[in-house]
Amino acid sequence: MSADPSSRAGTGVRPFRLSLRRFLGSAGAAALGMPWREFAADAASVTLPFANGGRPLVRYPQKRPLLRLTARPPQLETPFEVFNESLLTPNDAFFVRYHLTQAPPAPEALQPDRFRLSVSGTVRTPLTLSVEDLKSRFPAVDTVAVLQCSGNSRGFFEPRVGGGQLGHGAMGCARWRGVRLADVLEAAGVAPGAAQVLFNGLDSPLHAATPDFIKSMELDLATRPEVLLAWEMNGEPLPWLNGYPLRLVVPGYYGTYWIKQVSEITLVDAAFQGFWMNPGYRIPDDPCAAVAPGTTPKRTIPITRMNVRSFITSLTPGAVVRAGAPVVIRGIAFDGGHGIQDVVVSEDGGRHWRAAELGASLGDYAFREWTLSWTPSRTGPATLMARATNRLGQSQPLEPLWNPAGYMRNCVEPVTVTVT
Amino acid sequence: MAAVPVEPPRNPFAGDEWTLPAAQPSVTPGSGAGLVIANCAQCHSLDYITTQPPLTRAQWTAGVEKMRVRFGATTPTNLVPTLVDYLTSAYGKP
Repeated sequence: MSADPSSRAGTGVRPFRLSLRRFLGSAGAAALGMPWREFAADAASVTLPFANGGRPLVRYPQKRPLLRLTARPPQLETPFEVFNESLLTPNDAFFVRYHLTQAPPAPEALQPDRFRLSVSGTVRTPLTLSVEDLKSRFPAVDTVAVLQCSGNSRGFFEPRVGGGQLGHGAMGCARWRGVRLADVLEAAGVAPGAAQVLFNGLDSPLHAATPDFIKSMELDLATRPEVLLAWEMNGEPLPWLNGYPLRLVVPGYYGTYWIKQVSEITLVDAAFQGFWMNPGYRIPDDPCAAVAPGTTPKRTIPITRMNVRSFITSLTPGAVVRAGAPVVIRGIAFDGGHGIQDVVVSEDGGRHWRAAELGASLGDYAFREWTLSWTPSRTGPATLMARATNRLGQSQPLEPLWNPAGYMRNCVEPVTVTVT
Repeated sequence: MAAVPVEPPRNPFAGDEWTLPAAQPSVTPGSGAGLVIANCAQCHSLDYITTQPPLTRAQWTAGVEKMRVRFGATTPTNLVPTLVDYLTSAYGKP
């Protein structure tokens, strides 16, 4: 739990006022024996609480030891305790998810004198830009936004589904600095007929027949002011494994759109039908993005904006707390950018709920801290729950929803602790 | 539009080691394991297989076919039953 001196946490990372260790005491934290809590300094692996959940903790360049889901291409998950340390997820703890064999791209191709971004297709003036060009030609803007994998928490789906078996650690919140994509597209001059914008990065497949990882979005979305081409994360250059030297930032949208090492932007006049838009990354065409467990949706649409989630971060399943002694229940909440309206917390498995206190807002796309003081009265197990609602009134289901790809889990996540 | 001061280029690759850690070596021994390694590990590490939940024969079949049809795996059709037999036996559920 202590800060890693080599951490690239960087500027703007605001520590929580209390750490888990401070209010449990270090001996208490070490003795918790919680099934999905681990201390990286002492453990070479973590067991996530679902079948076949063992994950080695592996150190990658610019990263502290992270839960490794896969090695080639790398998929690394953030240890859950990190979410209780600061609202901004440190760069060295931020999750990693690549799709193609030849990823991340080799460092040689990413050097400032080599790396270029092209803007072409249905534009008046095709552009070829270095990162320095972006910095000098366009105004830089900062935004704090959550990046979450579409399949975050897939391992908790029941019945289980194939795919990356993630716990809750394929999410993070960072301060991104870059230029507005809209400004770059304006400089290129969107030509009549342009309908969609395609994004490709320097990662590549081994076989020519494997679909390259290309994502598309409607021009309306691509030109929204919050969409950035970013070179900086929490005050530092992007880590190699998070897209150095340039990535797309699409606040509110799932990570699948946040193309890393983005090198080609192409405007087109028709809907793109590449594998990673269809059939990849599709959800049931239903307001809840769900079907009856084990069934196939009749119609699917591309995944888009994130739903509402909240997590208790200060206590994990199996934690022990003392009757009569006040503890602060703390956690995070976020949604797809409408902003968190309120968070309610139950200490008795959902029978009674109390409003938590929201912390300062870092923006509508950011993790929002919440806290609630609790003095346990009865000894025995206590099931804690948090449930967030956004400004549209959208909230979290008490029971999990299901879809065949294992996307968009957002149910209330109960945490059962023991009161002694 | 307002110009912003140009920062000096920073090269995060200077003076560091940029090799990726090795993959976990293998899958459960068994008949067909060698064929799985030869076919699947060309494009991805074997933990793509070993981290899956226990999957049914139908799910493993769909997985192998997805690799062939969607991802361009060069695995010949006549090897598919052997691959699926192994995956269902080593990483399957009834």
